[in-house]
Amino acid sequence: MKQRLEDLLASGRESISAAGYESELQDVRVRLLGKKGELTAIMKGMGQLTAEERPVIGALANKVKEEIESLIADRQSVLKEAAIEGRLQSETIDVTLPGRRVKSGSKHPITLVTEEVTAIFASLGFGVEEGPEVEKDFYNFEALNIPKDHPARDMQDTFYIGDETVLRTHTSPVQIRTMLKYEPPVRVIAPGTVYRRDSDLTHSPMFHQVEGFLVDRDITFGDLKGILTTFINRYFGEGIGVRFRPSFFPFTEPSAEVDMQCVICGGSGCRVCKNSGWLEILGSGMIDPEVFRSVEYDSDKYSGFAFGMGLERIAMLKYGVNDLRLFFENDYRFLSQFA
Amino acid sequence: MVVTYNWLKEFVDFDLSPEDLSHRLTMAGLEVDAMDKLGEGLESVIVARLISVDPHPDADRLTVCQVDTGGEPVQIVCGATNHKSGDYVALAQVGTVLPGDFKIKKSKIRGQLSQGMLCSEKELGLADESEGIMILSQDLPVGKPFFDAAGLSDIRYELGLTPNRADCLSVVGVAREVAAMVGQPLRVPQPVVPEEGDAIENQTSVEIVDSEKGPRYMARLIKDVKIGPSPQWLVRRLDSVGVRSINNVVDITNYVMMELGHPLHAFDFNLLNDRKIIVKCPGKSAFTTLDGQEQQLLESDLAICDGKGPVALAGIMGGENSEIQPDTTDVLLESAFFDPLTIRRTSKRLGLHTESSHRFERGADVEMVPVALDRAAALMAELASGVVAKGVIDAYPQTISRRQVPITLAKTNAILGLELSLEQVSDMLASIGLGVNKDEAEAALSVDIPAFRPDLEREIDLIEEVARLNGYDNIPVTMPSGEAVDLPVPVHQKMVKRLRDEMVALGFSEVVNYSFISPSAYDRINLAADDSRRKNVAVLNPLTEEQSVMRTSLLPSLLENISHNLAYRSLDLSLFELRPVFRVVEGEELPYEPTFLSAAICGRREPLGWSQQSEAVDFYDLKGAVESILDAALVKKLTWQTDESEPYLHPGKSCAIYSGKVCLGTLGEVHPKVLDAYDIGEPVYVFELNIERLIETTTGQIKFSPISRFPDVYRDSAFLLDEGVSAEQILATVRGAKGKLVESVVLFDVYRGKGVPEGKKSIAFRVQYRSPERTLTDEEINKAHGRIVKVMEKQLGAQLR
Repeated sequence: MKQRLEDLLASGRESISAAGYESELQDVRVRLLGKKGELTAIMKGMGQLTAEERPVIGALANKVKEEIESLIADRQSVLKEAAIEGRLQSETIDVTLPGRRVKSGSKHPITLVTEEVTAIFASLGFGVEEGPEVEKDFYNFEALNIPKDHPARDMQDTFYIGDETVLRTHTSPVQIRTMLKYEPPVRVIAPGTVYRRDSDLTHSPMFHQVEGFLVDRDITFGDLKGILTTFINRYFGEGIGVRFRPSFFPFTEPSAEVDMQCVICGGSGCRVCKNSGWLEILGSGMIDPEVFRSVEYDSDKYSGFAFGMGLERIAMLKYGVNDLRLFFENDYRFLSQFA
Repeated sequence: MVVTYNWLKEFVDFDLSPEDLSHRLTMAGLEVDAMDKLGEGLESVIVARLISVDPHPDADRLTVCQVDTGGEPVQIVCGATNHKSGDYVALAQVGTVLPGDFKIKKSKIRGQLSQGMLCSEKELGLADESEGIMILSQDLPVGKPFFDAAGLSDIRYELGLTPNRADCLSVVGVAREVAAMVGQPLRVPQPVVPEEGDAIENQTSVEIVDSEKGPRYMARLIKDVKIGPSPQWLVRRLDSVGVRSINNVVDITNYVMMELGHPLHAFDFNLLNDRKIIVKCPGKSAFTTLDGQEQQLLESDLAICDGKGPVALAGIMGGENSEIQPDTTDVLLESAFFDPLTIRRTSKRLGLHTESSHRFERGADVEMVPVALDRAAALMAELASGVVAKGVIDAYPQTISRRQVPITLAKTNAILGLELSLEQVSDMLASIGLGVNKDEAEAALSVDIPAFRPDLEREIDLIEEVARLNGYDNIPVTMPSGEAVDLPVPVHQKMVKRLRDEMVALGFSEVVNYSFISPSAYDRINLAADDSRRKNVAVLNPLTEEQSVMRTSLLPSLLENISHNLAYRSLDLSLFELRPVFRVVEGEELPYEPTFLSAAICGRREPLGWSQQSEAVDFYDLKGAVESILDAALVKKLTWQTDESEPYLHPGKSCAIYSGKVCLGTLGEVHPKVLDAYDIGEPVYVFELNIERLIETTTGQIKFSPISRFPDVYRDSAFLLDEGVSAEQILATVRGAKGKLVESVVLFDVYRGKGVPEGKKSIAFRVQYRSPERTLTDEEINKAHGRIVKVMEKQLGAQLR
């Protein structure tokens, strides 16, 4: 019987290694170890063994069984590997065929810029306020220290709706509306659509601005520089040079035009910056006491600053858009680039 | 305002390079818009002397000249006729590039070698027109660069001045700023007028009737002038700042205006009726200014009149009737001060903006009136050989006194974030010519404001001057301290953001159109004559008819966008706009500006591709988008009502969208007539939602419903139904069948055709059953589903297939 067991193992080993498929291997297992298999057949002879022989042969039979099982397992994993390998080798696709894309939507670049600018100021503690686009002369001009017949009105060509109503020429009236609504301290930005009666290659009769202002105790011109420098560096890049130079706006004093180093040429001078190395990016200043007077803020107690920027210009610099008209033509080839 | 480097040097000594000066001016608030170097790139144009001038052997009109260049003589062929041997000329040597990109090359003209070109003023960019070549003064050094030798090299600065800086509308004004920059004194001209003959007051008189509008009027009389061309230096000076030369007398008034900033006017004295001047408002009348235009004056317009009527529009423009003529001999010279507002109103109304009105309306310098008068009179004596009558007339009924403005050190430092001393502030203000009185005890100054700074009225104006003079660059960068401000985000902003994000997620591209459209747009979208949306907020002064009314609907612009894009072969479009429209509100000054969301789709559902279907979009694509949007907006209880729609929509393929009883907007296929009006040749589907209504109806808050942990079971059933039964009725019926165990109902097939009788349709839906508490048995489900089938049969006449 010992011999038969050993022969079974030997022939089993041969059949296992000869099995070329998993199904063949399965057949071998049934033939050798199945209920009606060869091992079972051999084991039927156990009864004829002596009491001394039985445990010896029993142990041997177990060993043979284990051995065969382990051989089958090994062979199985080899065959599985080979089968996968074979499948992988037969299956190929052209990965260079274009993918099946879902149509992607896009925000208008002006929206993108508005959201990005708003997010930066939000992180600096500024809330967002809005106001009407058809605005009273009072909010758009008078309360901002731009009386009728003042030369400063020439700075902005106005569309009139009535004697006392205009299409707002800037987002600054939101300043007035907000200050009339809240007591200091206030930190607000006001993005919005504005209108000026001017249309050529570099002027659009409708465009967008973000206005911002902060009123509190002890606010200085240095704070204005701090906030706006932080904004420019966050939006256009750390280390970009920023300069403040005197200017004039009726609703701020001292007023400052804010330039940043040209992002196109890095400050060495190019067509975009008219060879100056600087780009005008923001108008700003300390809020004029006259403005405080019209909203009944006490200018002995509070001070503040305000700033405004044109979003089309920012978008043009940020994305390298070279023609203002593109923003309002709504050509899909333009829009889809901002997906 | 234009100034030049050399002209500034006449009034202040400075040692700044042209580039440094440009930078410093900009940083002082006088922004340099452009800097031009006159003669730049023309260094190879030299002073030369003609050794000989001979006729060209083979051309009648040309001469062959031997030219002394200081070194080797050269031969030049020249086409001019105004030169002779011995003349000094400007020679552009070979290699020079003249204005207009004209490169001088060595050439042969009719067989004769020509090594350069003798230049005219025009060719050198010194004049718009010129005859013949330039003949130079013989004291110029031969061989030296011409522009330097002739003193023509200069740098022109074009300043973009802000409206508050009237004081810098003159070379002296800008020089004052430069003087403050470099710490040097300003040299203001102190003219000395040679006077002769009968005193002026014996020959003429000035009367001011309206002294509020015309507070000061000074005059001088200059007799026996010889009107003629101005000397070259004057012509060039004026030319360098962009003023065209007319004749010596007019040029002098312009020159003094550019130099001192004060506008002057010269009358032909003999054309003044009664030889006198009256400053008054002549009332409604017609008056011809010297540009030949007839102006209609109103009662409020100030004029300079003679014994008969107006001879000049005060501070704006002279009259044709008293203009300097080529044979004028006697000149009445005006130097006056007018009320800024009066000048501005008249100039604006008449559309007559002149160098003079520009200065008066921004505020001229009343103290400059006598200086400018004397400066011009002296020049007329010198350059037009005039004889200046003794004395001046100075009609000045009420002296305008200087303003005193206080400034405290504490406020200055508080606003600027600086720690300046009183001494520093005082020195800064004094450097621009302000009178400063220190009050050490109070740490304050009382500042005496000269008349040339009408913009300095308040303490803050002086603080700005301190900031400017200190240099904005030298103010330290700080961050504001202070408590946090709580400003909640308004619902409107949140809703708009959510909708925009959702539209983009659904594959729509955002457009931004002008808010103003053409009133004819409402005809194009087929609105009825009495449609309330035709009631526009109109722009009183539109740029074009196409941009003359504020839109009450976003649709017209959106259809234009579709049309534009189809024309450029972008065919598969999903566009949306999310912006306000403008609606007139009776009795209100301002319109109502509700935000609208409109979208339009056309073309294929998926972009053309190797494995995509390329079916055309239809109504249900856009309806699906609306459903997603309203889901995102948390707007519930939707119904789709076909009994109301829009005139611009296909009546059979459109509906109004309701949430409960609130109409949110409309949805549908665009009416073929409207598509025609926009030249669109394929179906377009649009929706328009009023966002304010969404805000009204939104639940505002996502509410979680628990999910079951037990398995679901579903049953599919198909029914034959009458065509007239709507899907909404079917779904409502199924949901109404009180199936507590129903988790969802999906309508998954609509079929007409083989096997379905005419006038009927087959509708199939899947009902998903699930209990939150247990696994359902077949029996329970069969019972529940059976009930639904029964209700369908009973209520809708459905036949189970």
